[in-house]
Amino acid sequence: MKLLEFEAKDIFRKHGIPIPEGKVIKSPDELYLHMDDFADEVVVKSQVDVGGRGKAGGIIVTKKADVVATATHLFKTPIKGLKPKTLLVEEKLPIEHEYYVSITIDRATRQPMILFAETGGIDIEATARTTPEALRRATFSPLLTEVPGYLMRHLLGSAPRELGPVINDLYHAFCASDALLTEINPLVTTARGVYAADAKLIVDDNALKRQGITVNRDLTPREREAEANGFSYVELDGTIGVIGNGAGLTMSTLDLITQYNGSPANFLDVGGGAGRERVMKAVRLVGGMPGVKVIIVNLLGGITRCDEVARGIIEAGIDQHVITRLAGTNEEEGKAILAKHGYQMLDTMEEVVRTAVEEASA
Amino acid sequence: MIYGDRNTGVIVQGATGNQGAFHISLMNEYARSVGGRGVVAGVTPGKGGQAVHGVPVYDSVREAADEHDFTTSVLFVPGFAAGDSIMEAASAGLDLVVAITEGIPVHDTMRALAFAKMEGCCVIGPNCPGTLSPGELKLGIMPPQLAMPGNVGIISRSGTLTYEVVNELTRAGIGQSTIVGIGGDPVIGQTFVDVLERFEKDPQTKAVVLIGEVGGNLEEEGAAATRLPIVGYVAGVSAPPEKRMGHAGAIIEGGEGDARSKIARLSRMGVPIAGKPSEIPALVRELL
Repeated sequence: MKLLEFEAKDIFRKHGIPIPEGKVIKSPDELYLHMDDFADEVVVKSQVDVGGRGKAGGIIVTKKADVVATATHLFKTPIKGLKPKTLLVEEKLPIEHEYYVSITIDRATRQPMILFAETGGIDIEATARTTPEALRRATFSPLLTEVPGYLMRHLLGSAPRELGPVINDLYHAFCASDALLTEINPLVTTARGVYAADAKLIVDDNALKRQGITVNRDLTPREREAEANGFSYVELDGTIGVIGNGAGLTMSTLDLITQYNGSPANFLDVGGGAGRERVMKAVRLVGGMPGVKVIIVNLLGGITRCDEVARGIIEAGIDQHVITRLAGTNEEEGKAILAKHGYQMLDTMEEVVRTAVEEASA
Repeated sequence: MIYGDRNTGVIVQGATGNQGAFHISLMNEYARSVGGRGVVAGVTPGKGGQAVHGVPVYDSVREAADEHDFTTSVLFVPGFAAGDSIMEAASAGLDLVVAITEGIPVHDTMRALAFAKMEGCCVIGPNCPGTLSPGELKLGIMPPQLAMPGNVGIISRSGTLTYEVVNELTRAGIGQSTIVGIGGDPVIGQTFVDVLERFEKDPQTKAVVLIGEVGGNLEEEGAAATRLPIVGYVAGVSAPPEKRMGHAGAIIEGGEGDARSKIARLSRMGVPIAGKPSEIPALVRELL
C-alpha cells in the first residue's frame, strides 16, 4: 500500500532523517493555530497519491499572508482526479542542490537495491532515459544491517559525504517498515544541512498487519470485499466476468477472452479449496458488477469438487448466465446439476471463452 | 528427477495445520503408489509427540533429524512465520526446502533466501505448488493424476495454469520429466535460470516448457542462459499496468515486465511462443 508523503515523512523522522518543519492539516481553519510557527514563505502540498504532483499543480509556494487562501484552493482542487483529505504545509527550504535516492527490491539478485543520482528533482525519469549512467546503483546482502562503506562511496561519487548517513537511515526505514519501495526525490542540501524534501514509501501488502495497517487504501470497496473473502480481485471495464482458481490460469482466461475479441470485466482468483460457499460468494460479487453480461467460472485442480462448485453457482442466484469449465472430481454430477438450471459446463477453456464472447456480443 | 527421486526422505514443516495435514496424506498416498519413502516426519513447534495420518510430529527440525533420515522439507507454515522456518530447515543441514506458503512478507523471504544460500540449502518458492517428477516424487500440492512420465520439463510461475499445460501435454501423449512451480512472488529461490541448469544436466529431459507471466524479466534471463530447446508461454497479455494480478510478483511496474515485451524478447532469442495453452503440445512435438 502506498503511503502519503506526510505518513512516509513520519517514518523517516523516526529513523533520524531530517525533515522540513511542517504541519498536517485537515481543513484551512487549522492553519490559524500554527501561524506563529510559519516563516514568511511556506510550501503547501496536496496529500494525494499521484506521481508528478508538482507539475499537476498540487504543490504551491506562497506567502504566509496568503496561506489560508492557498490551502482553501488546494482542498477543492483535484490532482489527476484525486481530491486531498489533508495538506502538508512546510517551511520553504533554501535549497542548494537536489539529489535523488531510492531503495527497492531487485528481483534478479533477490537483494535490496539503492539507486542514487547527483541530479534529482522532477526530471529524474528523463535523466534515467537519456543518461542512464547518471543513475548509480548498488545491491548488497539483505543480511547486512548497514549499507557497506565501499558501496556508499560508489553511490555518492562526487556528491557530499554528509548524504551517506541519510541514505543509511533510509535503508533502516526501508527494512523496518517492510517497504517494497522508498524514495527521496529530491534529497536536498542547504546551508544548514541535508533534508528529505519529499518522501515516498510503499508497504508490502503481505506485511500490512504487522505494520499496524488495517485498511488497504489502494483497493476499491469491491476489491476490499473480495480481499476480506480471501479472493484476489482486480476490476477491469469489460462485459465478461471471470472467476478462476490460481492467478496464472485466471490471467490466461482473461488473455483468451481478449484474443477472441471479448472484454473481461474483472480478474477474480478464488484461491485454493474452492468449495460451495466461496464459489457462491465469488459469483455474487462478480454478478453484482455493473456491465457484466455473462460470467465464466474456470476451475482446475485435482481436489476441486465439481458438484459442490455447481451448487455454489446455483445458490448464488444471479441474473447473468454462468458458463463453466470444471475439472476435478464428480465432474458428471456437477454437469447434471448445472444443466438442470440452464447453466453450461464445457470441456475446455477455449470452448468456454468462445461461448461467453458470443453471448456477450449478442 | 532434478530435485530427488522415490528414495528422497521428506519432512513437512507446518504439519498440523489443515493444509499441512491434508497434503501429508496426499504426498504419502502418491509415495505408496510409486513405491517411494514419502513424508517421514512432521514439524510444528509446540505440537511434538502428536501424529498426522500416522506421521510422527516433532517440535523442531533438529529433533526430527535425530530420529529420521531426510534431506528435503515441504513447508506449509503460515506467512508470518515461514521465513524463520526456512532458516531453521537450512541451518539443520537440509538440501532442499519447498515453500508452498503464500503471503510471506518479502523482506522475510529475502533474508531467509540469503541465509539458506549461505547454508548451502536450495529453496523452491515461496508461494508455489512445488514439484512433481511423475512416477518418482511429489513435493507439494500438484495433482499427479494429470501427469505422466516422459521427457519434457516444465517450469512455471503459476499453479493451476501449470496443471492446465500438464493436462494438455498428457492428452497429447507427451510425458513430463519434472514439473517445477517456482512461485508467484517477486522474490523466489529457484528461478528459471536455476531450474534450467538442472534440466540441462538431467538425461531424461529433452525439451522444456517455460510458463511465465507479467512482472520482472526472469523468463528472458532463463531462456538466454540455456542450450535446451524451449517452448514459451506468457500469461497476462491483457493485464493492466500497476495492478497486482493475484500473484504478488505479477505486476507491471514502471513500464517494465509486461507480457508483450517479454514475448517479443523471447521470440528474438528464437523461442517458439504459444499464443494459448492448447498450442503448447504441437510446438513441443516439433522440438522432440
